[in-house]
Amino acid sequence: MPPVGIWIDGLIQSCTYMTMAFGMVLVFSILGILNWAHGQFYMMGAFVFYYAVTAAGIPFPVSLLISGVLVGGLGILVQKFIIERVNIPSAQGALYVTVATIALIFFFEGAASMIFGMQDKGLAMVLPGVLDLGSFSVSYQKIAVVIFTLVIMITMYIVLNHTKVGLAIRAAAQEPNAASLYGINVKRLSLLVMGIGCALAAMAGGIMAPVYIINPFIGGVPMIMSLLAIVIGGLGSLTGAIVGGLILGFLNSVVAYHLSYFSEVVLFVLVIIILLVRPQGLFGASRK
Amino acid sequence: MRYIDYKTVLPRTVAGALVSLIVILPVFTTNMITLSIFISSGIWAVAAMGFTLILRTGQFSLGQAAFMAIGGYTSAIFTVNLGWSFWPSFLLAGMVSGIIALIVGSIVLRVGGTYFSIITLALSEVVRIIAQQWESVTRGTRGLITSPPSPIAIGGFEINFYASAVPYFYLTVMLVAVTAVVFWQIGRSRIGGTFYSIAANPILAEHQGIPLMKYRVIAFTVAGVFTGLAGSLYAHSLTVMTPYMLGLWQSIQIMIMSVVGGVGSLAGGPIIGSIVLYTFGIYLSRVEIYGIQQLLFGGVVVLALLFLPKGTGLIDLWDRFWRKVVWREEEYEPDTPDD
Amino acid sequence: MKKRYSIATILLIAGMVFGLSSIASADEPIVIKVGLPTVLSGPAAPWGQIGMEPYLTWIELFNKEGFKVGGKTYNFKLITVDDKNTPEGGAAAAKQLIYGDKVKFLVGHWSWNFPAVSAVANQAKVIFMTRTGNEAVPGGLYDPKKMPYVVFANPSQEQFVSDLFALVDAFPKYKKIGLLDCTIGKGPGWDLVEAALKKAGIRYTNEWFPFGTQDFAPYITRFKEAGVDIVYVAGWVGESMAFAKQRWEMGYKDMKVGHSGPFVSVGMYNAVCGQDAAQGFIGQYWANWDFKKTTVNPKYVKMCQDVMKIVSKKQGKPFVYTGWIGWLPSHLLILAQAMQKAGTVDDTDAIMKAIRGGTFDSTTGKWTMSGAKAYGSPVVFGTPSALSMIQGDKEIYLSEHPMKPLP
Repeated sequence: MPPVGIWIDGLIQSCTYMTMAFGMVLVFSILGILNWAHGQFYMMGAFVFYYAVTAAGIPFPVSLLISGVLVGGLGILVQKFIIERVNIPSAQGALYVTVATIALIFFFEGAASMIFGMQDKGLAMVLPGVLDLGSFSVSYQKIAVVIFTLVIMITMYIVLNHTKVGLAIRAAAQEPNAASLYGINVKRLSLLVMGIGCALAAMAGGIMAPVYIINPFIGGVPMIMSLLAIVIGGLGSLTGAIVGGLILGFLNSVVAYHLSYFSEVVLFVLVIIILLVRPQGLFGASRK
Repeated sequence: MRYIDYKTVLPRTVAGALVSLIVILPVFTTNMITLSIFISSGIWAVAAMGFTLILRTGQFSLGQAAFMAIGGYTSAIFTVNLGWSFWPSFLLAGMVSGIIALIVGSIVLRVGGTYFSIITLALSEVVRIIAQQWESVTRGTRGLITSPPSPIAIGGFEINFYASAVPYFYLTVMLVAVTAVVFWQIGRSRIGGTFYSIAANPILAEHQGIPLMKYRVIAFTVAGVFTGLAGSLYAHSLTVMTPYMLGLWQSIQIMIMSVVGGVGSLAGGPIIGSIVLYTFGIYLSRVEIYGIQQLLFGGVVVLALLFLPKGTGLIDLWDRFWRKVVWREEEYEPDTPDD
Repeated sequence: MKKRYSIATILLIAGMVFGLSSIASADEPIVIKVGLPTVLSGPAAPWGQIGMEPYLTWIELFNKEGFKVGGKTYNFKLITVDDKNTPEGGAAAAKQLIYGDKVKFLVGHWSWNFPAVSAVANQAKVIFMTRTGNEAVPGGLYDPKKMPYVVFANPSQEQFVSDLFALVDAFPKYKKIGLLDCTIGKGPGWDLVEAALKKAGIRYTNEWFPFGTQDFAPYITRFKEAGVDIVYVAGWVGESMAFAKQRWEMGYKDMKVGHSGPFVSVGMYNAVCGQDAAQGFIGQYWANWDFKKTTVNPKYVKMCQDVMKIVSKKQGKPFVYTGWIGWLPSHLLILAQAMQKAGTVDDTDAIMKAIRGGTFDSTTGKWTMSGAKAYGSPVVFGTPSALSMIQGDKEIYLSEHPMKPLP
């Protein structure tokens, strides 16, 4: 039975993966594309947060919002000027979007390397202090991560289920053609959704920045992890993203504790089995 | 006098002349760097052709580097551990890679679409992990050191792979040529036509009685064979084979070379894409400003996708060059309905 | 008559011009190009980039005097190409340097692509100065018969062992050392380390983490449960900082952390880990002016200190990274001295012969190159294996365990 520290660590990892996976699924359900550069928005969110807190001295929650807004805005620009142009209506469209978003991975990593430098940066001071609970302790920062994720999930739930915009998003996700018949401007909605998805990734990057290290290359692993989380949960399902993120986070932590580096192997094997046996994941619709 | 359609013949003759110039390149220069660029681009071109072939059936495989690794390791293991000579190991590499492609494809192509792509992505990593853990055979992370093929004596003189890059160059040229011809013929044949139909409308194709799986697996296996051969050449030209050499990023590189070159073309597109992108990469490695390499590479690919006419690649520029610049043809634009 | 005079005048003037220019060129140092294939892109890039400024400054200082072989003075010129830390990139970089820039020597190499670069260098009969490592140790990929032009001018793998001895010197009451490395580092290099530790009776345990890990909680917990009180990470700076920060936040404040790499700047560690978590962080120390057990030629000590001053001035902020001192400058000194011993700058085989078994005065002390017994070829010499520790805002000398030269 792994010690409490491992369970807490698993929870923290789940929170990151949940937030990122949620953003990725939102984008996937409306736009039908997987944004391979999703991890790069996480990285950029971390950098914006870092500079907002250290260079501009802006308080922590506001900085988080700023990183979400700025990077979300960048996401909207990317959607408008690159993805829409490249996405031709055929099977090839998905291919071109994939190549474009993958090329963007290199572009953003390079841009971040040039603008921010490749040296590792970190934030230790955001929420200093540690809660002592006897044999182990939890930093306030990690507690903040959990609170943040809860806030995000609740907000998303309210927006999607109890606002007009949310209703429009859900309609467009299920049936874009019917939705546009009802007067919903699907194109503008897509921009908004892309913005939200990237903002979620950015804020995940921001909130995790003080726990991990910040450098231009931190986007790769979260991207792969959120992809795996979506696979476990089901490609089109928002609930699936949350559940998938939870499972993945705990799996990562607990398996690494018991088997150290074999956790890599376990994860990949699990994902392959899921894709072969039940490709729609836990909650996805069974479509071919 | 027979009517010669000069508009078709002339571009093809010019293309043929350019290709011949490349083939007889060593006559003009034995510069190691130029030859190496062509050798490496050639190897990647073969892998990119494999990707395009699989794409022809409507699937995109993010795991082609895994088959290069399988091919590379097979020929490395047989030459280093078992003392075989290069040539049988080379052919075996292709066969083993093909067989594994057949097995994996039969299981995995059933799911199709995005799921297939994700599984192939995982495949690259799985091969890497197996290579890393199976230490008794692959020697794990430290890898295997391979050697170039031994000198061959033909007639009075010797083809020596150790002495210069020219024999390697021709070996690569031959592999590229064989792959190109085979793929081009497949593209023009009935099988090629069937590939198109199962990509365009799988449901309709199924209704017409075309077994989707059979054709998808055929494409995947053929691609696997040639990619394995390319992998073997790769391992022997670098004289080392390690688990981290061919992974997810290399699969991505293969995909980018194929797409930028032009997915409509099975032979010319990937070749052009590989040469252009590889040379660009070499040029970038000399740039002194840190970080700009990745930025430029990503940026250029995105720009290429944005500015090349929708659905085409570099190879199609060749056609457009002849039509618009040389023949000064007016382009016929059908009326487009309002959006 | 006139014609003969004019011809004679022309000949005389020509003779004077040639004579004068040859005198002038006899003073003008001859430039020897050396190539540096190093990591300038990708995640390991900061460690390649940070050395560039001090390397170039050091070469400038060195060239002021230059070195003499056979009555002529020589200077070095450094040409750098990014090798992307991959075998393909390494082979391409080596080919560019050798066939494009026409260098006869590759120096300062430390990337993880030894076999690929070595193949290119040996085929072209170019001397390749690099370090031992996972791939290049006995039982590894190094074959002296196939690679006669390789010089291991830095015994990185063996140094790791001496670092651990220095660690034990500093903390004789330690309970257990925890060694942490990425799975990429598995191989004969580690087997060598383990064999040496067992022989010396040092208590240790080791863990591997997958490439890309940022969350070290599982590994911290495993070390804690194994009774480890000092964790030494094999060179991964970002990961070590994350480890240090996370272990502090998990409450394990007594667990010491260190890495087998020098400190880029103490400020970075304090900022990233937090001032309290970063205290006591251990790293490699190459500041030859502080060595206590190794004697270094004072001329080289002064040169290194001057470089630190010049680079600090250029950057506008203090430059405290010492890791560059034991690498490229040391390689160039070995090369120059070997050329002097051999009496030639062109004859590669003669230079290699002079390197084998020779004793060289480097930036980190006077060491002898091992002969045939160690790897069957010229290689490796000792290092001071000095360690430092973070105290406050500075790095202070901790301990030293000079490596015994290999047989």
